Amino acid sequence: MMKQNKLQKSLQALLLLLALGLSACSMGTAVQPWEKGTLARPEMTFGGDKLDTGYTEHIYSSKEAASGGAGVGGGGCGCN
Amino acid sequence: MRSKSNKSSALLGTALATAAMMLPSVQFASADVAPERGIISFKYLNYQEHQGALGTSVATPGPAVSENHDVETEIEHKNESHNHNEGAVWVNLVSGASALPTATPSVLTPSSVSSTTGSTAADRISVNAYSIMAMVPIAGKWSLATTFISDSVSGASPIYHTSGLTHMTDSRSVVDAQLTRYFPSGNVAVGTSYSKESDYLSRSYSLQGSLSTEDKNTTFTLGGSITNDTITPKSLSNVTETKNIYAALIGVTRVLSKNDIVQINVGYSKGEGYYSDPYKYYDKRPDKRNNTTVMGRWNHHFEGSDGTARTSYRYYTDTFGIKAHTLEGEYVQPLGNGLTVAPLLRLYTQNEADFYIATSAAEQAEPRLVTTPSLSAVYYSLDQRLSAFGAVTLGLKVSKQLGPDWLVDGKVEFYEQRSEWALSGHADKALAPFSARSIQLGISREF
Repeated sequence: MMKQNKLQKSLQALLLLLALGLSACSMGTAVQPWEKGTLARPEMTFGGDKLDTGYTEHIYSSKEAASGGAGVGGGGCGCN
Repeated sequence: MRSKSNKSSALLGTALATAAMMLPSVQFASADVAPERGIISFKYLNYQEHQGALGTSVATPGPAVSENHDVETEIEHKNESHNHNEGAVWVNLVSGASALPTATPSVLTPSSVSSTTGSTAADRISVNAYSIMAMVPIAGKWSLATTFISDSVSGASPIYHTSGLTHMTDSRSVVDAQLTRYFPSGNVAVGTSYSKESDYLSRSYSLQGSLSTEDKNTTFTLGGSITNDTITPKSLSNVTETKNIYAALIGVTRVLSKNDIVQINVGYSKGEGYYSDPYKYYDKRPDKRNNTTVMGRWNHHFEGSDGTARTSYRYYTDTFGIKAHTLEGEYVQPLGNGLTVAPLLRLYTQNEADFYIATSAAEQAEPRLVTTPSLSAVYYSLDQRLSAFGAVTLGLKVSKQLGPDWLVDGKVEFYEQRSEWALSGHADKALAPFSARSIQLGISREF
């Protein structure tokens, strides 16, 4: 039962997110392609320095109970 | 009134209806373009942990014992038998003898650690690692990225709470590859990862796709991964354990203005298999661990200073009973001549796992008296990483662009973890504060 509730909650959050995301499409004034010079700068993207992120996430996941959140994939380790 | 399931199906209906209404006006178009240039990067990491001696270190000098993986043979016996008395068990850290019927652990004292490694009593694990990443664009529609990481780990590690130091060494190699296909309306990426340690093998496969709206201001991302781990504890001969993890992530990235971009990701992961730590005292964890993460990120560019604030918040919850909050901020400031500095601050807090066993009064008075779980306990762990704590990271990254092709960077980070900094849960105040320092040095070239 507990599991079912957790799953339901996650599903609800997911659908809410999708609905919000979609409705956001029709809100506000759209940023035009010629206004995206700043957004193209590396520090404005969510990617970042892959090797730095790799080290940092690995260290945190071996010292703290929480991990993940930003993406999928990447292997596990015996460190936690 | 509606029942809970009715409510959720109503919500589902609403969401689907909203989605359906929106879809005709959403023209999916170019999400991402294939990279024009390739890149090759190298990065070195040096990492050193420390742990203060808050009544947890044993002052008596003793003989140095290395290779804890041999030592732990006996510890695992104890985990299996679990036929201890309630209260505390005396562990003789000096001679290796123990009052436990089946256990004879030989444990390093801080002084013997220092005599063997030349480090100080507070030093714990140290890591030296290097990694190489290469990405090549293929035919304007594809890209292939591959990463290789190699690290060597050595030093003293506690086997219960913050006590019972044993010396360990290990090395790890990781290879991963990701192939991405770019379409006019988005991209699809497949990835694989292979990680090997002397006692742990992990294979992972992932698939991720993203779609953007015509104005490219909104991007939806959906991803999934499967991870298969094989654990062969050195403490147990002829024993092979497995762990399988299935994960999914859904995300929305939205351009809010020419200076603001936000992202929300929701992740769910379902894991089954061996979660215990075979190298720790009294460690028996559930064989299922499911977690949910919600992460929000916001990057804002300041036109006045030309700097960029990168902020993120993550909520994590799992079936071990852990709830954790992570708040991170980084400020990237270009200084001219290709020089950029980026200070960062990270705040973290978690409560303890449902089955975490806090340090008993007896162990607080005498660290060699290991706290034992109650006989009725099905799951138990004395691992400090499953206790309630808070942590702070302070860091600074400096990078310098050299001409159009080369980039060099350096980063230093200081991390401190303390039980009294936990914002929720029951802090086990007998745990010694933990700290770490890391240095990264990198160089990369575009071609």
